Amino acid sequence: MILRSTLEEAMYTAMRTASVQMPPDVRAALEQAAKEETDPMARRHLTVSLQNADLARAGKGLVCADTGFPLFFVQAGAHTTVEGGFETIFQAAAAATARATEECFLRPTMVDPLRRSNPGNNLGPGMPKVELTFSGNGDGIRIIAAPKGGGSEIFGTFYNMLFPSDGVAGIKKFVLESIVNSCYAGKICPPAIIGVGVGGTADLCMSMAKKAALLRRVGVRHPDPLVAELEQELLDAARRLGIGPMGSRGINAVLAVNIETAVTHTAALPVAFNAQCLVGRRWTAMITADQNITYTGDVA
Amino acid sequence: MKNITLPMSKDTARALQLGDMVTVSGLMFTGRSRFHIRAIEENIFPPLDYQAINCFFHVGPVMRDTPDGWEVVSCEPTSSIRFERYGADVVRRFQLRTLIGKTTMGARTAQALQEVGGVYLSKIGLSGNALRDQITKVRQVFFLEELGKTEATWVYEVDHFGPFFVAIDAHGNNYFEQLAADVSCALPGIERDLGIPADYAFTNVNPDSSANM
Repeated sequence: MILRSTLEEAMYTAMRTASVQMPPDVRAALEQAAKEETDPMARRHLTVSLQNADLARAGKGLVCADTGFPLFFVQAGAHTTVEGGFETIFQAAAAATARATEECFLRPTMVDPLRRSNPGNNLGPGMPKVELTFSGNGDGIRIIAAPKGGGSEIFGTFYNMLFPSDGVAGIKKFVLESIVNSCYAGKICPPAIIGVGVGGTADLCMSMAKKAALLRRVGVRHPDPLVAELEQELLDAARRLGIGPMGSRGINAVLAVNIETAVTHTAALPVAFNAQCLVGRRWTAMITADQNITYTGDVA
Repeated sequence: MKNITLPMSKDTARALQLGDMVTVSGLMFTGRSRFHIRAIEENIFPPLDYQAINCFFHVGPVMRDTPDGWEVVSCEPTSSIRFERYGADVVRRFQLRTLIGKTTMGARTAQALQEVGGVYLSKIGLSGNALRDQITKVRQVFFLEELGKTEATWVYEVDHFGPFFVAIDAHGNNYFEQLAADVSCALPGIERDLGIPADYAFTNVNPDSSANM
């Protein structure tokens, strides 16, 4: 059985680490992009951002001061049991978020949407957001903590209910226009990882887009060759726009286009777009049934 | 690299060109959405000498309360374009000659900056941790109780703060609008290669507004 204290510790440490350390795959992609860019401003945007991440890793600040929305993606197995039941996961997430905020690893950013009042601890209805899913026959838990920055979420979220007659051309046009709009003046902090959902209901479609942007290792293509081909085609197109890091003149507005699909209504072609910013913050904690916690910057 | 002493003079502002990289030294105040809305809609703003402190830094810093006073943990400029509804009014009201933020601002704010003799400086990469070390003193804080640490107005004393680049000059020109025009020129060719017809239109399931005209 996984204990509440183990969950709290793992969620806190994963969230804290995500705020101060860039995932290795994202860092490698940014270093590669810095080599490719020729415009001095485009290169400088990247070298400065990498130096900033080095300072954060050395205990001198954060990867980005906008620690954004506190998100946890939790996956349990068929034989996982939790002290106090699965509801404990949500309570542990709240405690971990409040502690990370108290210790200045998260900025107090979550406010009431109408009153605009700020409790100062990033807690409130809906936050932290915990998505609990089940997969496999194991008895452990995998947690991915993802402080999702405001820029990429606020300026990089679009949804369009297309129709079958709009075709793949419609998907391409929607994604390309969304990239141009969201990268203007560096709003989503490019080079961005673009998540695209195709199919499902509106909420499932957007959820797929978000997970495609946040939870896939940079450079991994979709297993379905038809989807993988569309991903590559859109990435190649984005690299020809003439938009670079932070909306400068360059090549790397986008590091990856990741698409996820779900079956949908025969009358519909829903498409959702959600961007992840250049720092790509996420950190993974794996908990075993005997309370062992291991952490990794990778996603598997 | 050029270091500008704050408050910036009209002459200094008007001599700056799009893309110039600069640092600034002197006094600045911070604010985000709540500052803009309250200043213009409710006439609530900190009692500062805006002639002496006329650099407005768009940021929600991470601040730590310590026994020795307030400490900046990290301060990443925030997206200024969000404030465009109030940007021009705020520039005129406080006669601001320096705005510092992320992204850019729109045409109305650019027009106000031109009138006042001011520029908009945009950030270079993510540099919140380096910027923190260039803040030599946290002078004052206003509205902390009402607005919280992120939306409060902080007054910072800074030394060689930056660098930033000139994204809107004092003559109404915008670096990003020029770049966007080039992107618009590239787009049709890219769409053609993706197999999107030049006259492509998404299916419209609502009344055609042009048919009613």
